[in-house]
Amino acid sequence: MLTLALKKEWVDAKRQGQLSWLLGIAALLLLVACLSSWQSHSQYVADQQAVSESERSRWLNQGDKGPHSAAHYGTYVMKPASPLSLLDAGLQDYQGNVIRLEAHTRNNALFRPIQDTLSIARFGQLSPAFVLQVLLPLLVVLIGFGLVATEREQGTLKQLLAMGVSPARLFFSKTLMLFTIASALLIPVALSILIFNTIELRAGLFLGVYLLYVLIWCLLTVAISSLANSARKALIILLSLWVFTSLLLPKLAMYYATTANPVISSQAFESRLKSDVYTPEREQAIFEFKQQTLAHYKVSTTDQLPFNWGGAQLQFGEQYADKKFDLLFAERNNQLQYQSNTYQQLGILSPFIALQTLSMGLAATDFKHHLHFAAEAEKQRRLIQQTLNFNQRDNAHKTTGHYKAGVELWQKIPTFNYQSPSFSQLYQQYMPSFLNLLAWLVALTVLCAFTLKKIKREEQR
Amino acid sequence: MISLLLSTELKNLWREKLITWVVVISCACAIIAFFSGFNHSQQQQKVIQQAQIEQTMAINKAAEGLEERLLKTKDIKWWQDQYDFRGQAFYLMVNYASKPPLPTSPIATGQSDVLPYFFKMLVKEKQNIIHQYDYQHPLKLMLGQFDLSFVIIYILPLLIIAVCFNALSQERQQGQLRLMLLQGANIKTLINMQILLRASLVVGPFLIISIFLLVTQQIGISLSQIASYILIVISYTIFWLAISVWVISKGNTVANNAAKLMTIWLLLVIVLPAAINTSINQLYPTPSRLHYLDELRHSADEAKKASEKTLAAFFQDHPELANQSKPADFALKKIASINAIEKSMAHLDQVFEQAKNTQQTVADNFKFLSPATLVQTQLVSLAGNDLLRHHAFMKNVERHHSELQVFFSREIAKANENNDFSPCSGCSAKATLKDLSTVPQFDSKFKTQTINLWSILALFILSLSIWLYSQKQIVRIAQPQQSGVLV
Repeated sequence: MLTLALKKEWVDAKRQGQLSWLLGIAALLLLVACLSSWQSHSQYVADQQAVSESERSRWLNQGDKGPHSAAHYGTYVMKPASPLSLLDAGLQDYQGNVIRLEAHTRNNALFRPIQDTLSIARFGQLSPAFVLQVLLPLLVVLIGFGLVATEREQGTLKQLLAMGVSPARLFFSKTLMLFTIASALLIPVALSILIFNTIELRAGLFLGVYLLYVLIWCLLTVAISSLANSARKALIILLSLWVFTSLLLPKLAMYYATTANPVISSQAFESRLKSDVYTPEREQAIFEFKQQTLAHYKVSTTDQLPFNWGGAQLQFGEQYADKKFDLLFAERNNQLQYQSNTYQQLGILSPFIALQTLSMGLAATDFKHHLHFAAEAEKQRRLIQQTLNFNQRDNAHKTTGHYKAGVELWQKIPTFNYQSPSFSQLYQQYMPSFLNLLAWLVALTVLCAFTLKKIKREEQR
Repeated sequence: MISLLLSTELKNLWREKLITWVVVISCACAIIAFFSGFNHSQQQQKVIQQAQIEQTMAINKAAEGLEERLLKTKDIKWWQDQYDFRGQAFYLMVNYASKPPLPTSPIATGQSDVLPYFFKMLVKEKQNIIHQYDYQHPLKLMLGQFDLSFVIIYILPLLIIAVCFNALSQERQQGQLRLMLLQGANIKTLINMQILLRASLVVGPFLIISIFLLVTQQIGISLSQIASYILIVISYTIFWLAISVWVISKGNTVANNAAKLMTIWLLLVIVLPAAINTSINQLYPTPSRLHYLDELRHSADEAKKASEKTLAAFFQDHPELANQSKPADFALKKIASINAIEKSMAHLDQVFEQAKNTQQTVADNFKFLSPATLVQTQLVSLAGNDLLRHHAFMKNVERHHSELQVFFSREIAKANENNDFSPCSGCSAKATLKDLSTVPQFDSKFKTQTINLWSILALFILSLSIWLYSQKQIVRIAQPQQSGVLV
């Protein structure tokens, strides 16, 4: 009976010409999106590898010089692209993928690709994530808005029920047919994962949340189609829901999140980076450190110390500044994190927000992963400064400070090999979004139960 | 007859709850969108004012502490001394270049949230200055602002579709059209009246509220700017009305009209602009910034390796600094090196600029493919957040950067010649920069683009053509209705 009902739905859908051209357009858009995304992704991967190698070689071949000169010479680290960023580039273009590591300063990421684009870029990029998150629900709505409502309008719903088709079976077969059609568009995504991906857990979950999202929209569409008096009304309600949840709410949610938890401007932040570090307290701390060191070695001047005082002082200065940097960056990052969390919580109102958060998280292209990269880069910066300063302390001339280090020292700095954190480390942070999607599913199950009662009543009318 | 039709239509609309909702949504969108854009521009204004205060305070503070500094001759590190040209040039200078938002800025944020609108200037490579930006949540940047341009481009057409898709078709489906035509109503008048009345209920409140807020909240907004704003919104509205009439003129069912209009909206507002953007990026990509960085590092290495040659080349460009009896100071060598790096990067900067210009030309040509892109371009220009104004700002920033370099090179050379940096053995440098207000200040006056009336006219002509064509088609709907009665 179920197969028969499914067959009937398929024939019905095929009869309405719109199914083939809607599917055709969606498939074409997805194909174009996948191809253009693949091209950009491979280009970035190649560039990132080539420039990272070049930068490493530049560091090793910088020649003989004082360690502190090398600290100022610095180096750049680049964020590698995660395999799933091919499908969801997330915030990659909006947060910069290069960080300069140098003495005395903690820098923000540089070269945000969005700065090199035109105003038209604000219309969005035709990416797989855009097609799946924004256009796929619309496709579900346009295919499914009349599934039950049209039957009711044409009087065939009553006939079907009179023939003994149970409302649950009817509802289930229509939803299953819609879900099968919509899920077919996830095949290219699954193929991309199989071909390019190596992160099984993330990839499996990635596909899973998209299937859940499609299921939510299919259930919603068939439920509204069953509840509405006419196909027209069903279409209007569904389109309004799509506009509200996928277009309006994300912007409004972020507007609310950023207004409720504003971040300090870069102008004020940069000023504080200078004014909070280079203070009379710092001078006093350096003075006290000097006195303690002299007392520890039982000498009266720094020239009498068994090492170069300059190197020790530089490292003390770095550590002093690092504490201030930690405070300032943590303050700003916490505000930004509040914004992310507020936005994520509002995902209860929009499955789009919940899916987008999960998708970017799984693709390792969201803000949390960016913060992780920035934190790892900062660790590397501190390691470089410490290695160089201690080398200066231990090897430079005790009074004049003259000393030139060479490639042996530069080699002591390990290559920066950034690895994204495993998803099991972060899954708790994405739990609200996952629960929001589940809440939608539960709410829709309740709605479906209510819908079935309405369809049953149809038979009695 | 027209007044009768009008009153009937108004009564029908009043009975329908949908129209009330649509008007409420339109008003709410106008208010939220205005304040979202307004807050964004106010935020920028505040940052710029803060920067100016910081700059003025630095000048005043230096003036106040000058006397004390003049008395000190020892234990002063030049890189910490605000009265030393070298310390100011490379580390301590508080000198901002900023792009203040225009009074029309709340209309369209454009790229103003991602592009830098202020720079803290220092004497260092231009390439290391112009990539600063105001740090915001990247997700906010990706989602974009909920500003008036967003509502105009995305939401207004949807609201227009929501109120217009069943015009005439509903009367036809319910059999009322035949009665109306029998009573002497003209089908063209009927559809035009219905569409215009419904659209005015959506667009009217939106325009009134947004203009009221723009005029009352933003000081300095001109009448011509308001007129331009109205012109753009009306033209875009007329386009969507024409499209609605065209779809209705096909004589299909109400549901079919809704589906068709939604598909057209989707194609013109969502898919086509995104496809144009993707095509431009794929066909005319800007070079890789990673390679740019690689080149910048390479240039810096080369300039340092050939420091003597670099200095010689610098003196060739600045002969006024070359006539010195003393060897060049370290600071002058540093400026020479900065100059050399900038020169060697010039070709790559040009490649980027050319790539962007090509993209802009292509985007300008393709903008006619979608009314959404065309209207966005005009709204962003009107708001002063377009790339042309940004380029003008960047040109001023570059000029200011050069002025600072020239100023500090000249003054450092002079101070070096006068032995001010090492007046005696064991002494600290003299206070060479006694008045910070003598340091060049940024000129924040630059050209602002006006809207392109031809683009709006083109949209208007296109809309009118569609409307007129649809009027002819719509007569066909009336024929069977009338002939049916005759039979």
